[in-house]
Amino acid sequence: MESATQDRPSTSPPAVPPLPEPVQPAPGWLRLFGERAQRFTAWMSQWSIEQRVLAGFGLVFLGIIAISIMSYRNTAVVVKNSRLDTSSHELVQLLSSIEEALIAAESGHRRYLVTGDESYLKPYRALMEQMPEFSRYLEALADPSGQRERITEMERLIQKQLEIETNAIHQRSTQGADAVRHLALPGVAKRELDDVHRLIADLESAEQQATRARVLKSAGTTRNTIALLALGAVLQLVLLGSVYFLIHHDITNRRRVAAELRRQGELLQAANKELEAFSYSVSHDLRAPLRHIDGYAALLSKSAAETLNDKAKRYLETISASAKQMGQLIDDLLVFSRMGRQEMLRSTVNLNQLVKTVIHDLRLDLQGKTISWTIGSLPDVPGDPAMLRQVFMNLLTNAVKFTATRAKPRIEIGATRDTAGEVTIFVRDNGVGFDMQYVNKLFGVFQRLHRNDEFEGTGIGLANVRRIIHRHGGRTWAEGALDQGATFYLSLPVKRTSS
Amino acid sequence: MTTVKPILLAEDNPRDAELALAAMEEHHIADKVVVCHDGAEVLDYLYCRGAFKSRQCGNPVVVFLDLKMPKVDGIEVLRTIKSDANLKPIPVVMLTSSREERDLAQSYALGANAYVVKPVEFQQFISAVKELGIFWGVINEPPPEGN
Repeated sequence: MESATQDRPSTSPPAVPPLPEPVQPAPGWLRLFGERAQRFTAWMSQWSIEQRVLAGFGLVFLGIIAISIMSYRNTAVVVKNSRLDTSSHELVQLLSSIEEALIAAESGHRRYLVTGDESYLKPYRALMEQMPEFSRYLEALADPSGQRERITEMERLIQKQLEIETNAIHQRSTQGADAVRHLALPGVAKRELDDVHRLIADLESAEQQATRARVLKSAGTTRNTIALLALGAVLQLVLLGSVYFLIHHDITNRRRVAAELRRQGELLQAANKELEAFSYSVSHDLRAPLRHIDGYAALLSKSAAETLNDKAKRYLETISASAKQMGQLIDDLLVFSRMGRQEMLRSTVNLNQLVKTVIHDLRLDLQGKTISWTIGSLPDVPGDPAMLRQVFMNLLTNAVKFTATRAKPRIEIGATRDTAGEVTIFVRDNGVGFDMQYVNKLFGVFQRLHRNDEFEGTGIGLANVRRIIHRHGGRTWAEGALDQGATFYLSLPVKRTSS
Repeated sequence: MTTVKPILLAEDNPRDAELALAAMEEHHIADKVVVCHDGAEVLDYLYCRGAFKSRQCGNPVVVFLDLKMPKVDGIEVLRTIKSDANLKPIPVVMLTSSREERDLAQSYALGANAYVVKPVEFQQFISAVKELGIFWGVINEPPPEGN
């Protein structure tokens, strides 16, 4: 994170609304920090919850990785130090062995020079024999200790001392005791031996110091590692906790949604049942009074035929006509309601055949009018035969109705297959058409674009068409212009395999 | 054909009954019609009990049955008729306002001989009742009496 105070000019304090009483102004850095924090939270709030969760997990994960790397490094340092300690310990031991051997060899050598007794040369010979081995050990331990210079110097001095001693032995054996007497008392190569002692002491103290330093460092690193591991554990706990929280949250949410869905489903089912009962009651009870109105009006006009004047007869006719209209409205509404609720059959419908039968049924209503029908080749579509029959019944009834005023009515039915999974079927007429600005009202329930004295109708037919086509997974739309005919389209999904 | 067998009309609504009778009157078959106002009365008539204890027993030539009736509804009456060996041969015509598929299916499943939806328009209603009356009361040969 960047510093909060670095690049913000402190000369531009934000506009603060005047306060009722003077308060101690917050220090600049604090204010800037607050601003920063606000901007950061604002920036964060643009993120989606998933992004925030991901960012949080990423941060914690990076932290854990960093801690793991640092702990590994610390442990490596401790391991290396302990290895160095071992070699340092070995070096110190080796040095004391060498020193011991040197002292023994020197004192034996001195006795030999005095007495000529060769048995005193045993330590010296042993040292001569051991020396290459000592050298090899020293060589191995020189590098880790970092005291190669001192060790080389020590070896050189030992070699020199041994050389001098060898020379003295040679002198003693060839020239007798007197020749080496002056050497025997103070000891040969005394200076070199002292130097070696001093060097060994230096080496030992250096090793001790290094060991102490390493111990201190190891202890520090270990403390560090423990702290890091503790932090890592905390982070992992945080991670686990958040995972638990998220999963818990998710599960709770899911449960809630499932319960809500179930409840809604039950409500819907109850509402559907109610609707069914309602429409049953409408179908049964609402029709009876209408029948009576029409029936008694008819009976009245029959039994009082002589006494009624024309006006009274017209009134009775209007009563009958209204009753009939309401009956038709109820029937249409019930069909509309049924089309929404009824279980759909899934079979293949031969539209050619279906359109033919619908036109045949319509012929009775045409009352001798001649209409020029153009029927293209229509596909087989999957769907409910009764429902699709209703669709074409409504569309063709409309086409017949709205071309009634034409001298030469023309109705065309055809199909186009524009995409692989869909067919579009159209019904085109040269009737009175409609204004495209009302196109959205066409398929609504009780929406009519014509007065009842122009064209009869209940305003449910096209709503039914749309409802049925929607239930088949298709779409409906229309094009038209006033006095220039109308075209109604419906698209239906078809299986890919059908050709 | 020689013995005048009655037409049984089960109709709870007196106006509907009156209109039906008016329709039959035009064709002079109204005097053959017996009107019952609920399902229980229909069963009483058929089994010659209660108010019909003293009537001369014998099955009607046809029963016109409304679906929605007080006490015992049309479906229940139909079920009783069609599960009784003596009454089973009587032709039963459902004459109802309901166009519900459920009612249609149930009626035919129980053995109804016809199902007619009462038209709202009086002229149509008259012609429907008239045709029904003539067909079932005059044209159709009823099942033999006895067994």
